[in-house]
Amino acid sequence: MSTAVLALQHINKQFGHGHTAVTALNDANFEVNAGEFVAIIGPSGSGKSTFLTIAAGLQTPTSGQVLLNGQALTKQSEKERLAYRFNEIGFILQSSNLIPFLTVTEQFKLVDKMAHRPFQQSAALELLNELALSDVKNAYPNELSGGERQRVAIARALYNDPSVILADEPTASLDTPRSIDVVQRLAAEAHQHNKAIVMVTHDQRLISHCDVVYRIEDGNMTRDNTATAQ
Amino acid sequence: MYLGLKEMRHEKLRYSLLSGVLLLIALVVFMLAGLANGLSNGNRQAVDQWHATTVYLNKNANQTLSASQLTLADKKHLQGTKIAPLSNLSGTLRTSNNQLKTTASAFGTSRNSFLMPTVTSGHRINGKNQLLISAALKDQGYHLGQKVRIGTTKKTVKIVGTYAASTYSIAPTVYTDTATLNRLKGSPVTSGQQQPINAFVTKRSHFKTSKHGNLQRMSINTFIDNLPGYSAEQLTLNTMIYFLFVIALAVIGIFMFVLTLQKQALFGVLKVQGIGTSHIIAALLTQSIAMALIGIGLGLAITVGLAQIMPAGLPFVINWQAFGIYSLALLGAAVIGALLSWRTVAKIDPVVAIG
Ligand SMILES: Nc1ncnc2c1ncn2[C@@H]1O[C@H](COP(=O)(O)OP(=O)(O)O)[C@@H](O)[C@H]1O
Ligand SMILES: [Mg+2]
Repeated sequence: MSTAVLALQHINKQFGHGHTAVTALNDANFEVNAGEFVAIIGPSGSGKSTFLTIAAGLQTPTSGQVLLNGQALTKQSEKERLAYRFNEIGFILQSSNLIPFLTVTEQFKLVDKMAHRPFQQSAALELLNELALSDVKNAYPNELSGGERQRVAIARALYNDPSVILADEPTASLDTPRSIDVVQRLAAEAHQHNKAIVMVTHDQRLISHCDVVYRIEDGNMTRDNTATAQ
Repeated sequence: MYLGLKEMRHEKLRYSLLSGVLLLIALVVFMLAGLANGLSNGNRQAVDQWHATTVYLNKNANQTLSASQLTLADKKHLQGTKIAPLSNLSGTLRTSNNQLKTTASAFGTSRNSFLMPTVTSGHRINGKNQLLISAALKDQGYHLGQKVRIGTTKKTVKIVGTYAASTYSIAPTVYTDTATLNRLKGSPVTSGQQQPINAFVTKRSHFKTSKHGNLQRMSINTFIDNLPGYSAEQLTLNTMIYFLFVIALAVIGIFMFVLTLQKQALFGVLKVQGIGTSHIIAALLTQSIAMALIGIGLGLAITVGLAQIMPAGLPFVINWQAFGIYSLALLGAAVIGALLSWRTVAKIDPVVAIG
């Protein structure tokens, strides 16, 4: 039995029918454990976003199954899928997924409002401190630098204590030093908080900071055991 | 709630603009409602004060009091309690030296009739050529003991009593007895059962037999609806008010829809994070209800303020019941306006936020 937090087994995803059909994922197998920072690397159009949307329950695979903590996500209602995303998954999107009219602290408060619980002030302050955001906790997203915004997105994703964090090209809008900073922080958070973090990227320079690397090309996904130093 | 209110706080200008537009709409609604109510009062206040249920007019009078000709003797067709004859004369009330001149609605009825208003100063009518005047006339300078004329005759009557504010056909009322009113009208018969009158007004009554001469029975509400100009005035003003509800709905609906289109990407991101359509709609509802409440509240406050400084000639009367109903209607327009964006929000696909 697998102990994976998130596992995708024999996933196929096709768009369209007949000779215009596109196979975005072809028998993809994937797993991530708690405390692991996994990269999925591949060129544009290779199926990375399709993979993330299936893992997040935003799209259903043509065949195969997604397991979260050993439980299959099948035939969920729209409401259950929303609850799944809210409770089990933390998202970090390409550019900012922050809400423009909420301050950094309020981004956390919104999560609490949705979960019908009081503001977890000490948890929020700890995360802000960890990610060097204490000085900007009352700032709005448009007052932050690109790097700060992505750090807030990381903090917000961790704040709800999800099973797994999915990051879709989180460094796409950052320069190299800031990209490396963000990736190092993701790695540190995975290890410190024993979180499963999956990062999709097309940037080769970032993979040295990851524990496991999957390569994807034309929908074919393979685990690359030579990529990381360990 | 949280999302909606935080966004309003951050985008104060944008949301105050819509609140301002709603304030203007609410203000016009309340002003029109006040005028409609004032005009309604001016037309029917005296009728309401009768607390009557049924009116009998001549069936050829087209349900109009002034066109209806009956005689006191027609009472033989009726059976019931509190049946009062009513005569009406609209004309100029003036003092004999012409120093005071006012358009007034004069009513004649029997001296002990239930239509006679309760006297607040002076005494009830107990003899010929006596007149009771309503409060507005007293305020204009008419006083007890004064001799006045009504209409074009040289005959005078003496003011013996005053009573509460009362209007009919947008003119203050005066009351006298049937015979005196007939003298003022210049009627050839001024005593006995053949005296002309315009109507019988009753509390509870019916025809004695199926033969009832040229009498026509109608409810007090039908009578009021047929007061000259009354229905047309009310319909005009109420139609304007109803159009304003449609305008409010369109303004809120379009405003919220445009904002929704602008925020599609953000809503997609919210959905990715598990914050679904119902939470987003709740935020839109919070915003439009909050804006409507601000607009309605300020609109009411300004209307009450303006009512204090309005010229006395303007027939403006605040009716809290109508204001309450119209406030709820505006709130309803805000709710529906926000819900018009529902489909658009529901169709936003979170998948587009990824990739
Ligand atoms: N909704 C869709 N309809 C049709 N084709 C799609 C759709 N989504 C993705 N694809 C196709 O699937 C392939 C993988 O796309 P995607 O997962 O977005 O790649 P990546 O994120 O790696 O750039 C591409 O060829 C793309 O055109
Ligand atoms: Mg992509």
